[in-house]
Amino acid sequence: MFSRRSLLAGATALGGTSLLPSLAHAKGIVTAATYPGSWEEAYRTVVAPALKKAHDIDLELQPLYAVDQIAKVRAARGAPPFDAFVLDPGPRITGIDGGLFEKFDGKKISNASKLPAGMIDEWGICVGAQVVGIGYNPKKLPKPKGWKDLLSDPWVSRLGITGFQTTFGTVSLIEIAKAFGGSETNVEPAFVELKKVLPKIAAVGNPAAMAGLLQQGQCDITYTNIQTVAILKSRGVDIEFVKPDSGAVAFFTTMHIAKGAADAENAYKYFDTVVSKAVGDALVQPPHNFIPVNKEVVLPPSLPMTNLDEMSTYVRHDWSKINPLRAAWIEKFNKEMAK
Amino acid sequence: MNKLAEWQLTLPLALAFAAIFLAPLLMLVGVSFFNDDKITEPGFAQWAKFYGDPFSYKVIGDTMLLGVKTVCATILVGYPLALVYLDAPQRLQKVLIFIIVMPLLLSVVVRTFAWIVVLGREGVVNQLLLSLGIISEPLRLLQTELGLVISLTQIEMPLMLLPLISVMSRLDPNLRDASAALGASRWRTLFTVIVPLSMPGLVAGCLLVFASSTTAFISQTVIGGVRLIYLPLLIWQQSLVVFNWPFAAVVSISLLVSVLTVVSALSWLGRRSGGYVHG
Amino acid sequence: MQSTPAGRTLDVEDLTVRYGQALAVDGVTLAIEPGEVVALLGPSGCGKTTLLRVIAGFVRQAGGRVRVDGATIDHLPANQRNIGIVFQNYALFPHMTVAENVAYGLHARGMRGPEVLAQVSRFLDIVQLGGFRERLPRQLSGGQQQRVALARALAVEPSILLLDEPFAALDRNLRLDMQIEVKRLQRTLGLTTILVTHDQDEAMSVADRIAVMNRGRVEQFDTPVAIYDRPQTLFVNGFIGTTNLLNGRVAALDGGTATVALDAGATLRLPAPTGLSTGAPVMLSVRPEQLALSQVPGPESWRIERGLSLPLGAQLVHEARTTDGASLKIVEPRRASPADAARIYCMLAADAHPTLFPRST
Repeated sequence: MFSRRSLLAGATALGGTSLLPSLAHAKGIVTAATYPGSWEEAYRTVVAPALKKAHDIDLELQPLYAVDQIAKVRAARGAPPFDAFVLDPGPRITGIDGGLFEKFDGKKISNASKLPAGMIDEWGICVGAQVVGIGYNPKKLPKPKGWKDLLSDPWVSRLGITGFQTTFGTVSLIEIAKAFGGSETNVEPAFVELKKVLPKIAAVGNPAAMAGLLQQGQCDITYTNIQTVAILKSRGVDIEFVKPDSGAVAFFTTMHIAKGAADAENAYKYFDTVVSKAVGDALVQPPHNFIPVNKEVVLPPSLPMTNLDEMSTYVRHDWSKINPLRAAWIEKFNKEMAK
Repeated sequence: MNKLAEWQLTLPLALAFAAIFLAPLLMLVGVSFFNDDKITEPGFAQWAKFYGDPFSYKVIGDTMLLGVKTVCATILVGYPLALVYLDAPQRLQKVLIFIIVMPLLLSVVVRTFAWIVVLGREGVVNQLLLSLGIISEPLRLLQTELGLVISLTQIEMPLMLLPLISVMSRLDPNLRDASAALGASRWRTLFTVIVPLSMPGLVAGCLLVFASSTTAFISQTVIGGVRLIYLPLLIWQQSLVVFNWPFAAVVSISLLVSVLTVVSALSWLGRRSGGYVHG
Repeated sequence: MQSTPAGRTLDVEDLTVRYGQALAVDGVTLAIEPGEVVALLGPSGCGKTTLLRVIAGFVRQAGGRVRVDGATIDHLPANQRNIGIVFQNYALFPHMTVAENVAYGLHARGMRGPEVLAQVSRFLDIVQLGGFRERLPRQLSGGQQQRVALARALAVEPSILLLDEPFAALDRNLRLDMQIEVKRLQRTLGLTTILVTHDQDEAMSVADRIAVMNRGRVEQFDTPVAIYDRPQTLFVNGFIGTTNLLNGRVAALDGGTATVALDAGATLRLPAPTGLSTGAPVMLSVRPEQLALSQVPGPESWRIERGLSLPLGAQLVHEARTTDGASLKIVEPRRASPADAARIYCMLAADAHPTLFPRST
């Protein structure tokens, strides 16, 4: 049993640590949007202390999905509620088109030399990679070779698919289309082929439900990103990641400075901390399983690449072309897949 | 004088309602009358797009039908349950009411994912049926409308049972005895006395279950999958993925209006039968 | 009245009902004659309503039998017993009109069409509600609702009629009217009827015989007059009417007659109940109207201290106190001499029939 006194002491200690920064309130503060869930958790426990230590800046996190970040900055008209965005490629294009970002000055990133080429551009900086491929249950199915295998037996009858709502779903469907003669802007072949095997497909799911469906054996194979596979594996699910023969897909999560940001300079220091070796080393480990962008970070064997330069061989997509088509694809997916 | 004072007392609530309920609703309507997703060009394009597409009608129809099926299933399961509850001794009633309310105490997400475990290909139902030899192949329950209706029936059950039980427990227990003494069988008593007199509760239950099941986005997409397309999925896609808020607003208003239409028809029925209980 | 169904006999034999550990009805036996009205009278919780519900078939007994015309009905569910019941709150179906309520039992028996209409009209006319066919119960007064409940119960021509505190919800004047009305109906139809009540006046005025119940048992089953005049237990004595209790001791026993020395100071010769012995403490119960006042002392009168005298309708009620401290009530007709304070001796009236009960000291 806790005594009243020890509880009080504990409470004082807790209060003390949270009070200290604001009392000290040295060099300032940066307000950054982050994805709710695993991102928020990782940034609170890893990035915030690192930023405090390196630059004496307090990190204030606002957990927001990409769409909410865009909407809030759009609505604020020049007085954004946060300084830094974190976005996937699709929303990034939306942000650029909407003029929501400040121009980005790469020279302010001290770790720039440690990043692979092309990680910084005039609008922002890549802070993490996602690698998309095939996840399957090796106890139930033979190893698939590529995207085409998904739509043929024995895999198709255990296949779970998701639509164009997510970035990983969109790029996977594009790759399936390519395997049947389509292209980045022509996913029609994917629809044609999916429609042929639709009755056999085990699940057409909500992305949020896919982990549960895999865990429960409702489906045993799906396209997914490597981070999801790592998380499921750590929970004891029989799942392995496969790089398709046409190559795994990579896309980057980027950070941007909101137009009219109050603390732009602090935001640069925040980005610099995020891409530092120390933070990358921590985030690459479970339970976070992030893929870093800093080349000095030691990659664990669970990742399909031995160094980050390898990722330049991975399939990439031009989201400025995809974005305008995506709404129509989502609609088409609804209609083609609807019962 | 007094009346005025009482009327003024409701002002804060009325203002709060206007601010947090009415204003967003008006904004929603306003947003729907823009042609482009950046909300700059007023027009009816989004309305024309939604109502010019036959697929929209199918989705509206499916959504309403899902509500109707769920309502029917909750009545079929819930009404006998309410009768059992009323006949149970008081101590058992306390246990029953706890079991009935329990789904409300769990988060939607937990309830919904629990149903994946129950209905999945390797889930409880299939394993039971397989081990009993009733089926040789796992049944497909997840990602079907049947599975969705089954799980919604459990998830929405408290909304049916609570109003039903509250109305039925106010019924005079002598009515049943009077009916029996007049020579009526249990079934005749049920259908000519109990059911008509429990109509207000039944209608209130139907209303809640209908409104709740037609808008149960998480259950619909997680258990039903995305091949079963209902209006909430469209709203989510348009607002959170495609960023087309005007179109999302059109779909939202359509959902609101279709649900309200059915709900007001139901509550009209409820008002018509409402007088008897307090008679 | 076109037909008067002959009344049935109703026999309750050694009936016992348990609620958990408690005995709600404890070995009750009643033999009720055809066409008779029997009141089950007792305080609340005495088992009278439970007994009624067993007869109706709503409650199963733990032991004993119920017979109608000699045949047991214990195996029959309530809806096959053909026993009419009127509840205290009438239990009319609130969603049905008066006519639908009355027709309910007829429909339940499979009767259809003009037959039903005729029967409904007949019984609504009997209860004088012919003009209220299309009203809903909530549009009727309490007395009218009760008439509907009666018509509904009678329309199916039951073998037995049960009335569960039917007049309790009515105000005083209406209650008397309805009591007369029910009695009239019961007479014309010749229905064997059981009335549950806690109101002794009601039992006295409506019933042919009264079963006084206490703690699940029948204390006395007799005519109202016999119960009033010759209560057989102290409970019945106390429950029915007002009574004066005087302590005393048996001075001598002579066959059926006991000589009792009252603590108040008189010696009386009274019929003795069985089981008395000389010297035993007894209690004398005597009704207020069976006491008289006198100016002169005597061996059979005792000294009292007079209190207030109150006129009560046609009567005069005198309060008094005996020398041993018991309070008395004495009732005289008002025409008797005015309350002269000189009458300070009390005695038994000429036609008095007091009751002796053994007393535990």
